[in-house]
Amino acid sequence: MKLIACTEGHSGKIEAFSLEMIAAARSLTQADDEVVAFFAGRDAEGASACLGAADRLIVARSTRSDVIPAETYALLLRDVIIAESPGLVLVPYSANGLDVAADIAARTGWPLISYVNEIKRLGENLTIVAQMYGGKILAECEVRLPAVLMINPGAFAAAAPAPIAPVNVQTIDAEPVLTSGKVKMVAIDMPDYADVDLTTADRIVCVGRGIGDEASIDLARNLATMLGAEIAGSRPVVDNGWLPKLRQVGKSGQKVKPKLYLALGVSGAPEHLEGMSQADLIIAVNTDPKAPIFNVAHYGATCDLFDLVANLSDRLRAGSGR
Amino acid sequence: MNILVVLRMIPDSAGELQLAEDGRGIDREWLDFQLNDFDDHALEEAILLKEASGAKVTVVAVGEGANRVLQMAAARGADEVVALQSEEDAMISSREIAASIAAMARAKSVDLVLCGVQSTEDVFGQLAPYVGALLDWPHVSGTNRIVANGAVLRVTQERGAGVAVTYELATPAVLGVQTASKAPRYVSGSKLREASKTPIGRATPELSGFELTAEIITLRLPVQGGSGENLGGNAETVADRLVTILAAKGLARN
Repeated sequence: MKLIACTEGHSGKIEAFSLEMIAAARSLTQADDEVVAFFAGRDAEGASACLGAADRLIVARSTRSDVIPAETYALLLRDVIIAESPGLVLVPYSANGLDVAADIAARTGWPLISYVNEIKRLGENLTIVAQMYGGKILAECEVRLPAVLMINPGAFAAAAPAPIAPVNVQTIDAEPVLTSGKVKMVAIDMPDYADVDLTTADRIVCVGRGIGDEASIDLARNLATMLGAEIAGSRPVVDNGWLPKLRQVGKSGQKVKPKLYLALGVSGAPEHLEGMSQADLIIAVNTDPKAPIFNVAHYGATCDLFDLVANLSDRLRAGSGR
Repeated sequence: MNILVVLRMIPDSAGELQLAEDGRGIDREWLDFQLNDFDDHALEEAILLKEASGAKVTVVAVGEGANRVLQMAAARGADEVVALQSEEDAMISSREIAASIAAMARAKSVDLVLCGVQSTEDVFGQLAPYVGALLDWPHVSGTNRIVANGAVLRVTQERGAGVAVTYELATPAVLGVQTASKAPRYVSGSKLREASKTPIGRATPELSGFELTAEIITLRLPVQGGSGENLGGNAETVADRLVTILAAKGLARN
């Protein structure tokens, strides 16, 4: 059986989760199985230099663009699926993967399971553990091959980066599909870190939905100032316009690794944990003792966050006056 | 432009979730159901497009409490509201409802389908790409800005880490909304009361069109894997402990 591991990268950088997709595929191989990595974009050399843990690499190469619209990526991948007849396609849970996985599943008629954490292979069937309800429930699923799986970043340890032998690299021209595609890329905006770069911050105080309203963010901001920390927010806080986008931590925000991450009223959906679980010291405050944030926190408290912020601010203020 | 917005009512996962007796679902009896956050943003984006270009907005809602949320949609400016019948006490599978949404889009000569980028129940895949693929219409998810210029849409997509990509595509199209261009608007009580008279249409589900070759065998609660120290629930003692911990690590002072 062939297993296709979808990979991504742009601006000369292959995304780390690409090597996780290859490792996930490799963990399911049996005798004579083959792991085929698929990459679409301009950086064919970068992919060839990095994705050697796969047996083969198929590059849909663009001469123009780093970023391939998901629909074009899916059309290119569909051609590869037709040519290779794989038994399994693994797609990363990314902005691109969210669109690609269901598109491919619909166009092939194959089943799809999303947010996958664990996979076991039993002949022509897979048993899967997937996340639901923001990680509060795990679903044990069964799926018959061929199938598409969308894999959570971090669920599998990454394969080691290594070059792949040129003889095992097949290049196809993405330009005709890109040119005829219905979705045209017109601009890429890179972040402007003039205001704040959370990725370099040593200390972060992050507020989540539990902060309640915009006015209350000032309390957390004052605490952050006392700690020499940057204020940050989870997705609902930023979506509500209470903090700017560059201060969002998580899958669709910034991935941070500070020395201190104080999470106030953050539940810790998988998308959020992906952005901060590598912090050196995580302190979480949430009245829900089952909040997933406690699974990664080094210290956790279930008290009211406003009471805690007031008490902590008093103590820090008193300490600074000594 | 005719816009169809999909609203899904999902269990409030901020609260405690209990498993059903058969282990294949969650106990829904005492659960609060709320509008999927991302769908709320899809609705707002549709109303903003209506205000900018005079589009007609039809809203279809599915799940527990659909009528209530449809009245809210009417109060926010939806022109037509429809409840899609769904099985009671069952999760809303995006894969299962995709065919119904596609059929409705065709029947109503819709130019643009908007829904949230994801929901906490779509373990079998996301709605926007399914509907896009079924209709063979272009689709983009993770959008945070949509501008319509006639039949041409300019759509900005979040790619993570602050990177945003702008695409151009022609209608008809399907978009999965991450964030509306503006935060969802507040609706006053008087507007809600007025909207409560809005007639709610009924739609019956279409067969999914997808062969069921994946299924949930059982649900379980994750083992609380946190090996961290519990500092308790008293704010004063927690604050004392934190000051000590931060001081020991050299993190207590600016």
